[in-house]
Amino acid sequence: MNATLYEIFKIFFIIGIQLLGGGYVIVPLLQKYIVEDRKWLTEEELIDYYAMSQCIPGIIAGNIAILSGYKARKIPGAIAAITGIVMPSFFSILLLAHVLMNIVDYPVIQNAFWGIRISVIILILITIKDMWKKSVNSKFTYFVFFFILVSLFILPVSPAIIIVFSAILALIHSKITGGKTNG
Amino acid sequence: MVKVYFLLAYEFLKIGVFALGGGYAALPFLFYMQTKYDWFTVEELTNMIAVSNITPGPIGINMATYTGYTTAGIIGSIIATTAIVFLPFIITIIIIKLFNKFKSCSYVNDIFVGLRPASCALLTSIGIQLLFQSIFYDKIKWSLPFQIDYKALLLFIILIIPFSFMKKNPILVIVAGAFGGILIKMI
Repeated sequence: MNATLYEIFKIFFIIGIQLLGGGYVIVPLLQKYIVEDRKWLTEEELIDYYAMSQCIPGIIAGNIAILSGYKARKIPGAIAAITGIVMPSFFSILLLAHVLMNIVDYPVIQNAFWGIRISVIILILITIKDMWKKSVNSKFTYFVFFFILVSLFILPVSPAIIIVFSAILALIHSKITGGKTNG
Repeated sequence: MVKVYFLLAYEFLKIGVFALGGGYAALPFLFYMQTKYDWFTVEELTNMIAVSNITPGPIGINMATYTGYTTAGIIGSIIATTAIVFLPFIITIIIIKLFNKFKSCSYVNDIFVGLRPASCALLTSIGIQLLFQSIFYDKIKWSLPFQIDYKALLLFIILIIPFSFMKKNPILVIVAGAFGGILIKMI
């Protein structure tokens, strides 16, 4: 239970290295390193924190790190945890960016990136499909989706405005239907 | 340059608060940033998305570091990365101090019923734009009849068929795209 700040930093640094392809994979990693090996959290707390992380703004993996670090050593612990989880990202991106800058002019690399741009479109489409399945499932959600999609083509506004607008819309909707989450 | 630092901080503080639901939720904000400031091209941005997918760490953090670096060097990357986690950090600490138990966030859930389809719509609009830009016409000019980039269309079809049936595997999609790109461009 008595975690040192360095240990918190180190564990989240190790978890950060292993995060590939999205923050969701953080739960089994935390289960192993923090719940089973070090007992900073109980399994129940981890489940709670995961649920909380999804309804707090911000990156899910970052939020779980902040919550777990706070549980172990209050605010200094939270800072150690978020710093630890960010560092592998930060340094690996800087390194790759630097390497890419030096090789990007080779025709082979340019052709590879031409293909990778198609890959990115595929990844976005797959993500849209997953998001759609989880979120667009009622009259209200169909309305929000198509209303926003059509308005974006007519008038491209800032995504922040869209988010605030749809939050207000959802609040009004839940007031009218009496707070049923699937209304 | 100092002005760019402030703008970067402002934009990434905004992404930190408003991009909800996984790393890809940040993409519409980055594309919006691209049209607003001209800090990087659409091509550079898609390259950054690809690299962020195959690099360790949460995609949102990777994107922040990379766009910050492309825009304003190492200082830019530090500013963007710090900014994207700063407000969520404050909010998380406040919430855990106020409610020691925050199990059912039912009020928040009600809001998310509207936010999730909105996030999905934002990403869909980006997906459609990218698809049109890379397959149906060069650059950003509309001209009928469409100029179709047949090589891009071919690669798109080759990739979408297997990967739409598989579990999401970003690294495999990107590696396949890279090799596909090299091979198709040799034709």
